[in-house]
Amino acid sequence: MSNEEMILKINNIEVKYHEVILVIKGVSIEIPKGAIVALLGANGAGKSTTLKAISGLLRHEDGEVTDGSIEFMGQRIDKTGAEKIAKMGIVQVIEGRRVFEHLTVEQNLKVGAHMRKYGRSIKDGLDMVYHYFPRLKEKRNETAGFISGGEQQMTVVGRALMTSPKLILLDEPSMGLAPLLIHEIFNIIQKLNQDEEISILLVEQNAKLALNVAPYAYVMENGRIVMDDTAEKLRENPDIKDFYLGLTDVGGRKSFRDVKHYKRRKRWLT
Amino acid sequence: MTVTTGIMVGGIYALVALGWVLIYKCSGVLNLAMGELTLIGAYVSLSFYSMGMPFLLALLCSLIIGLVLGILTERIFLDKLIGEPVLTVIMVTVGLSFFFKGTVEFIWGTDTRVFTPPVFSIEPIHIGQIVIGQVYLWSFVAAIILLIIFVCFFKYTRWGLAMQATADDEMAALSLGVSARFVYAAAWAIAFMAAGVGGTLLGNINGLNISVGYLGLLVLPAVVLGGLNSVPGAIVGGITIGVLQNLCGAYLDRYFPGGVKEVAPFAFMAIFLLFKPHGLWGWERIERV
Repeated sequence: MSNEEMILKINNIEVKYHEVILVIKGVSIEIPKGAIVALLGANGAGKSTTLKAISGLLRHEDGEVTDGSIEFMGQRIDKTGAEKIAKMGIVQVIEGRRVFEHLTVEQNLKVGAHMRKYGRSIKDGLDMVYHYFPRLKEKRNETAGFISGGEQQMTVVGRALMTSPKLILLDEPSMGLAPLLIHEIFNIIQKLNQDEEISILLVEQNAKLALNVAPYAYVMENGRIVMDDTAEKLRENPDIKDFYLGLTDVGGRKSFRDVKHYKRRKRWLT
Repeated sequence: MTVTTGIMVGGIYALVALGWVLIYKCSGVLNLAMGELTLIGAYVSLSFYSMGMPFLLALLCSLIIGLVLGILTERIFLDKLIGEPVLTVIMVTVGLSFFFKGTVEFIWGTDTRVFTPPVFSIEPIHIGQIVIGQVYLWSFVAAIILLIIFVCFFKYTRWGLAMQATADDEMAALSLGVSARFVYAAAWAIAFMAAGVGGTLLGNINGLNISVGYLGLLVLPAVVLGGLNSVPGAIVGGITIGVLQNLCGAYLDRYFPGGVKEVAPFAFMAIFLLFKPHGLWGWERIERV
């Protein structure tokens, strides 16, 4: 994927927290314009940190990109502040459905439109969000802290949409939601990507789900990218199957003895 | 009569309480320097007034200076602390309060100063049977006007919403391009201004000296009563405390000579919190089930 135009290029970055703790050790990711790219990996692999490095929220937690570079549409942003990055068109949907609990759903969305200065475009934005998430329209005047988890996730994604982003960084949208809801939300995400031409970097633990929506994926472990390939190829990869998809033979009965986690090293690790 | 005076004085408390709530609402910080903000605002407008400016203009100037000072305070002392634990910031406000108090004493001295000539005529206004001093009435009116402005600001403007959002979840607000620095600076500026108006009005009632700064502490029960982050709560709390103080002064002082007037609000606050730990309209932590 070298000939396409890239909206985001992460070039071998290193991230340190509190100036000593090295959490990301050389991560390179490229996102083509208008694409969905997934970033997979287990807990603590550094996925969320990577996202925060892109959106600039990292500095807010006393972290820093100490090496490498991040380029967004040809501009370096690894030293830029979070607000400015948001203004350039990158919005991160932080993991864990962080709605503004004490505001109503509509007020939440309006905060997303904070950077739009004119009343008119706020209304357009709201209409668009309600078009994709009809459910939010019903709940618009309810306090966001009291709506269901799925609706909160929708609110958060809708809020991100209100910033009229070029790239959305989605952090585990499926976390703690019922399968049906997850399905609904992922459908909408795909639609957003197609209709609004928003590029998406999707972080997921649920690899199966992610590989369904994203044609291309990176796998992270221990702060490194250990693999990257198209979704089809990754789905066929025996290691991915074992460690992330949890199935060796589709449809067949599975014996956990065969998996033998302790014997079979993840051989890409060094 | 006592009640009406209480309500009117309460209006001033409410004003200062407003500034207090604002800072808490946006940044979760208990601003223990609020009393000193009041002092500064009051002294600044007194100085302008003594220089011969009309009162309203002097007030306006003190508002502008409050705005500038608020932003400066935030930029110099608090900006570096964004993202640090709230307790640290609270301790910094304690330091700030001593700093401000010292500065005020240094510049204006410790003698009681009065607005000369008096701004409001001493002639009280008669409304039916009730007699009210003009100062009190105007303070009350000012508090109500500011209340309306604040409520509208929070509900309908994008900056108001952004401020509330920052209070709720700073990180999420930041990810949407809300500038936390701007929000905090705005909160401090507005707090400074509200406190200035409150201080000026209070200075008109009793004259102005360092002890006006204790208003900052007295406002604490008002704020807690209203629920730390509710704008209407601050108003109602302020008025309640004002009334309570006056009633205690009038009826209990005979039995407990001394400072019942000053102690009563705190006693009331303690008892009240037993029954409503979040205050009247405070945010309860939303726990989903």
